[in-house]
Amino acid sequence: MTAQQEFELLVSRYYSTLYQFAFSLARNEGDACDLTQQTFYAWARKGHQLRDRSKAKTWLFTTLYREFLERKRRQLRFPHFELSAVDPDLPRISPATVNELDSAEVLRSLAQLDETFQAPLALFYLEDHSYKEIADILGIPLGTVKSRISRGITQLHEMLTRDNPNTPKKGTA
Amino acid sequence: MNSRQAREILMRYRPGVADDSDPELAQALEQAARDPELGRWFEHHRAFQNAVRDRFTQLSPPAGLKDKILAQYRPAEVVVWWQRPDFRTLAAAAAAAIVLLVGLAVFRDRPREDQSFLAFRNRIVRNAQRGYAMDITTTNLDEIRRYLAAHEASADYVLPGPLQQLPGDGGAVVRWQNRKVSMVCFDSGNHNDLYLFVARRSDLPDAPAAPEPEFSRIGKLTTASWSTGDKVYVLAGKGDEQFLRRYLR
Repeated sequence: MTAQQEFELLVSRYYSTLYQFAFSLARNEGDACDLTQQTFYAWARKGHQLRDRSKAKTWLFTTLYREFLERKRRQLRFPHFELSAVDPDLPRISPATVNELDSAEVLRSLAQLDETFQAPLALFYLEDHSYKEIADILGIPLGTVKSRISRGITQLHEMLTRDNPNTPKKGTA
Repeated sequence: MNSRQAREILMRYRPGVADDSDPELAQALEQAARDPELGRWFEHHRAFQNAVRDRFTQLSPPAGLKDKILAQYRPAEVVVWWQRPDFRTLAAAAAAAIVLLVGLAVFRDRPREDQSFLAFRNRIVRNAQRGYAMDITTTNLDEIRRYLAAHEASADYVLPGPLQQLPGDGGAVVRWQNRKVSMVCFDSGNHNDLYLFVARRSDLPDAPAAPEPEFSRIGKLTTASWSTGDKVYVLAGKGDEQFLRRYLR
C-alpha cells in the first residue's frame, strides 16, 4: 500500500469520529473541521515515523488532542468563557446538522462538564477506544481515566436530568 | 465487591467494546443479575447511556470536509537513515562496504574515524534534521524510558524540570560508533520538536564536563550540551539559545 493509499484509508475510516471528538473539545463546527484537517496534515507530514502502523488510530486521536491543547494554551482561537455568559454566541450548527438538535444538546452538556472530564467522556462515548487507548491518547494513567469517566458520567447525568424539559433550548439553531 | 463499588464499575460498562473482558466488570455484571435493586439501577443507567451515546455519535461532519482533507495530501519527503533500509540503501551500503574494505587494505595505517564529542554531536544532530524514525511513538515519558531500558540504552537520565513537563513525541535507540545512544523526542508545541540525546560519558571523554550547557548551532538546529553524573546530554531544537534555555532551567 502506498503512503497516499494509506492516507486515504485512514481518512475514510476515522475522519468522522475525529470530527466528533474535535467538536466535543472545540465546541464549534469551524474549529472542529480545522482540528480534523490539521490532524491529517500532521499524519501526512509525520505519520511515517510511526513504526507500529496498528497504532495509527491512537496516533491520530493523540495528535488531535495535543493540537487542541496547544491552541488552547496559546488562547488564539479557544478563549475560555463560561457558557452561560456567551449564550448568544453558542455554536451555530450548519444546515446539515440542523435536524440533530438533540445531539447538539448532548454536546452542549458535555461542553459544560468540568474540563478534565470532557475529553475522556467524549472518547468513552465514541466507543472506538479501549480504556488503555484513551489513557494513551490523553497521556494519563489508566486508573485516572476510569475515575474521570465515572465522575464525568455522574456529572453529565445530573446535568441532563435536572434540565427542565419546558426550558427553551438555546443556541442550537 | 459491595453494591456501591459495583455501580461505579457498571457505570463505565460499554457492551461490545474491548474493555468488557475486564474481570471486575464480569463480577459487577454477575452482581447486577443477583441483586434486583442494582439490576434495576443498571437497566436505567444503560438506557441513559445508550441515549447519550446515540445522540453524541449522530453528529455528522459537514459536507465537503473529507474532500478537503484528501485534497491537502502532500507526500512527506522522508529520508530515513537507520533501521529502515530499502533496496537503494542496501545497495549503497554494499558499495560503501566494498570501498571501505579496499580503503582499509590500502590505508591500513591511517587514523581511525573521528570519535570526538564534536563529531558525535554533529552526526546525531544532522541525522535528526535529515529525517528519522522513532522506535516508539507515545506522549508518555515513562513509557519511552521503559522502552530505552528494555533495549539496553541509557534510561537513567535526569531530565531538566521544564522538559519533564512537556509531552513526549517518542523515542529511539540510535547507534553511533557501535554504541547505543538514547533519543527522546518532545513536543514543545506548534509542531516544533525537541530532541534529547543521551550517551554514556565514558564513550565521549572530551564532552563538556560541566552541568552548565554549552550552546552551538548545527544546521537549522541549536544545541545545548552538558554532562551530569555518568551521562552526556545533547538537546537540539529549532530556535535560538534563549528558546533552548527555557527548557533547561
